[in-house]
Amino acid sequence: MAIQTILVINKSGGLVYQRDFVATAPRLSSNEYLILAGTLQGIVAIASQITPKSLQIAGKGSAKGGVEPAGGAAAPLVPYVGTLGATTASGTPMGSFLGPDYFNDAFASCNGRGLKHVTTDQNSLFLYQTLTGIKFVAVSTQPTTNAMAVAVAENLLRKAYCLYADYVMKNPFYEPEMPIKCELFDQKLGVLVGQL
Amino acid sequence: MSASMSGNTASSSSSKKSLKAFSDDIWKNKTAKINAELFTLTYGSIVSQLCTDYERDFAKVNKQLYSMGYNIGVRLIEDFLARTALPRCDSLAKTSEVISKCAFKIFLNVTPQIGNWSSNKDSFSIFLDENPLSEFVELPMDAARELWYSNILCGVLKGALEMVQMDCDVYFASDVLKGDQTTELRVKLNKILKDEIPAGED
Repeated sequence: MAIQTILVINKSGGLVYQRDFVATAPRLSSNEYLILAGTLQGIVAIASQITPKSLQIAGKGSAKGGVEPAGGAAAPLVPYVGTLGATTASGTPMGSFLGPDYFNDAFASCNGRGLKHVTTDQNSLFLYQTLTGIKFVAVSTQPTTNAMAVAVAENLLRKAYCLYADYVMKNPFYEPEMPIKCELFDQKLGVLVGQL
Repeated sequence: MSASMSGNTASSSSSKKSLKAFSDDIWKNKTAKINAELFTLTYGSIVSQLCTDYERDFAKVNKQLYSMGYNIGVRLIEDFLARTALPRCDSLAKTSEVISKCAFKIFLNVTPQIGNWSSNKDSFSIFLDENPLSEFVELPMDAARELWYSNILCGVLKGALEMVQMDCDVYFASDVLKGDQTTELRVKLNKILKDEIPAGED
């Protein structure tokens, strides 16, 4: 499975970043990508409304099992999948992060009721949402429903978030909520996806 | 790794200790550092330059530091969340704990005390026992009354909390630089911006 496209959607549903990693990826016009971003924003909101109560209760039930983070009652943990897709050579500088990896533990997904994963016959789409409302979206070249693949994708997207924090937010000339045109971010994201 | 795992699996009784271990691990093993003196001196030169630029109108300097901090906060919160992936805090008490044990630890390597809760639990104080920003500072006579030397911290907290949908007032209540007993930062929660909480959260 390879990553075909990565999108970043700001908190108001606007597309701020889009990049294809596979030359054969079907070309969408920039307008179509904007529509896709807006649609995803809406679908996440709808999904969070229609998530069955039983699932929410089940989520809360497992929280009582003592494996959930203290703050979020029903937030499921995403396992750490190892240095997959991360800098393999520990000498490579990683911005403000110390190697060998951006993080090394399981983490909570705060998107407990929204949309996380869509599978079609051709592709899968994975979505990672941050507490500030930014959405990181990855589209894979093959459909998958494998839990491992979903975990890998979530790990990858959190790493993309780490890169975003470093190379986009810390770029003094980047204006929040605006399209991302940061060469360093492009470059680092390319390396990250390339190593997958 | 086991330490940071326990940070995420904290139950309410042991959360104090494990949140601390969790942040210690991030600070120690995951965060690049710079020389503390360079940092302190850089901040000092910014404040002193601002005092000159605003012709020693310290109210304006305070305001400018606050707004600089705000701009840092709205960006720095992403770094904090990317680094920690902590879930949303379910109470202001939890927020205060994360600010002191996690945020101050990771970015400044200090763990201030939390206290002075208001009776309705909507405001608290952060007591900075040590303040890396003012390590070598002595305020000149004319600045001692009005200037809040570390006012940038208020702005940072304000900006960061706003980005996680908490509208707060943050201000200095006292500063040892002014001859007070403690350095006290006051945080007051006005409201949680419920409409802006991203869809999908529980």
